[in-house]
Amino acid sequence: MKNSKMTLSTETMNIDFVKKVENLSGSSVRRCYQCGKCSAGCPMRSFMEHPPNRIVRLLQLGQYERVLAGRSIWYCASCETCSTRCPNKVDLASIMDALRKCSWDAQGASKESLVQLANRLFLENIRSYGRQYEMRLAAAFNLHSGKLLKDFMLGPKLFSKGKLKMFHQKNKNIAEIEKIFSRIEELRKKGEAP
Amino acid sequence: MSPTKNVLEYSYYPGCSLHASAKEYDESTQGLFKALKIGLKEVPDWLCCGATPAHNVDELLSLSLCAKNLELSEKVDGDLAVACAACFSRLKTAQHKLEDSPEKRRQVEYALDAPLAIDKPVKHLLEILAKDYGLERLAEAVQKPLKGLKVACYYGCLLTRPADVPQLDCAEAPTIMERVIAATGAETVNWSHRLECCGANFTLSRPGVVINLSGEILASAKRAGADCIMVACPLCHANLDIRQKEIEEAIHTVYNMPVLYMTQLLALAAGVSTNRLGFDSMMVSPLPLLKEKELL
Repeated sequence: MKNSKMTLSTETMNIDFVKKVENLSGSSVRRCYQCGKCSAGCPMRSFMEHPPNRIVRLLQLGQYERVLAGRSIWYCASCETCSTRCPNKVDLASIMDALRKCSWDAQGASKESLVQLANRLFLENIRSYGRQYEMRLAAAFNLHSGKLLKDFMLGPKLFSKGKLKMFHQKNKNIAEIEKIFSRIEELRKKGEAP
Repeated sequence: MSPTKNVLEYSYYPGCSLHASAKEYDESTQGLFKALKIGLKEVPDWLCCGATPAHNVDELLSLSLCAKNLELSEKVDGDLAVACAACFSRLKTAQHKLEDSPEKRRQVEYALDAPLAIDKPVKHLLEILAKDYGLERLAEAVQKPLKGLKVACYYGCLLTRPADVPQLDCAEAPTIMERVIAATGAETVNWSHRLECCGANFTLSRPGVVINLSGEILASAKRAGADCIMVACPLCHANLDIRQKEIEEAIHTVYNMPVLYMTQLLALAAGVSTNRLGFDSMMVSPLPLLKEKELL
C-alpha cells in the first residue's frame, strides 16, 4: 500500500496555475479533500465530462490543460450549490469563473463554442446599448451560430404577447458605459488588472 | 387634495428583463406597491448588471457594471429595491467582493473614474414585503383571499445562494416565499425541486439543458399537487413558462402549469385590477385556473 500513497506537492501540481486560479477566484484549490459533495448536488453534472470535484482534482494534479480544453467549465450554470455546500469552504463557483476567464483569455482553448458565443454577444450588447435587448441577442445568436431557425416558432408568439421589443434605444449614458469598458482594457494593457 | 403619503419609499432597479420578456413582473410590482402604498422610484439611466455572462468570464467588468448601478442609485432616495433574482445576486455579490478586497476596489474605481459609492442597502422585493412592510400588514391588505389555491414556491438558485451573499433567508431551507404567499390565505405545497436550477441562461446557447432541468421542476410541482408555480426571477419564469410547451412535447406529457410572479398573486389578493397584472401575456394562461378558483 505504501507505493499507492500519493502526496500532493508543488511538484505534482502546476503551482503557478493553481495560484493564478486561487488569486482570481479568492478561493483555495488546495483545501479540497474530494468528498464529492459538490458533484452530488450539481444540476449540470450529467452534461459535464468532468464533474466539479474532478475538475478540482485535475487542478491539484497539474492537469489544468484538460480542464481548459473540455466543455465542463462552460456547462456550469453558476447556481452556487457547490459553494453553498462545500464542507471545507472551497468556493467552487468562483473557481469556475476563474477557469472560464483563463479559457476565455486564451481564446479557442475550449471546444465549447456556443456558450462562449452567447456570452460574447451578451457583453457586446451591453457595450453598444447599455441594456440587454433579448430580441437582438437571440437574433444575433442565431445568425452567428448558423442556427437560423432556432426558436423560430417562439418568436412570433412572444412578439404578439408584447414580450419582444422591436426597437431599442441606447442608454443616455452610453458614453460613460463605453468608458468603463475601455478603462478596464487600459488597466489590462498596463498589467494592473487580471 | 394631497395624495396619501406612502408608508415606505424605495429606489427601484427593474433590470433588463422587466422591460421586455418579464414586463408582467414590472407591471404587477408597480400595481402591488401602489396598492400597499410603497413608493418605487426608478433609478435614472440604470444599465445591465452584466448578469451571468459578465461574471462568467470577466469579474472586473461584472463588479464595475454593478458598482456603476449602485452609484446611479444614489440619485434616488430609499434603499434599492430589486425584482430580478439575478440582478439582486450580482449587486449583492459586488458589494460583498468589493468590501473584502482593496485591490478590486482600486481597479473598479479606476474603471468608473470615480470614488466608489456602493453602500446603499440592496433589497429583493421579497425582503421588502416580508421584513420592511411586514407579514401582518400584508395580510391586512388582502381584499381577495387566495383560498384554495395550491402554490408551489420556486426559489431557484440566486435568491438564497451562496449562504453569505444574499442573506435573504436560509440558503438550504428558506421559507420566505411560503410565508409571504401564506399571508394571502393561499396554501403552499411541500415539494422536492424548489431550490433546483432551471437551466438559467443556457436557454439561449443550449436549450436542451433547460428542457431537461425545467422539465424536472414542472414534474415535481405536478407530483406535489400544485395548481401553479410561483417565482421571483424572470429567467426562471421564461424557462418554466415560455419553454413549457417544448418540454411537454419532448417528454410527451401535459403539465399545463401556470407559472406566476409572486407580485401577480399578491397584487391579485390586494385587489389590484387584473388588467394591470399581465395575465394575458403569459404562455401558459393562468386565467382558467383563477376562474375555477373564483379569483377573477
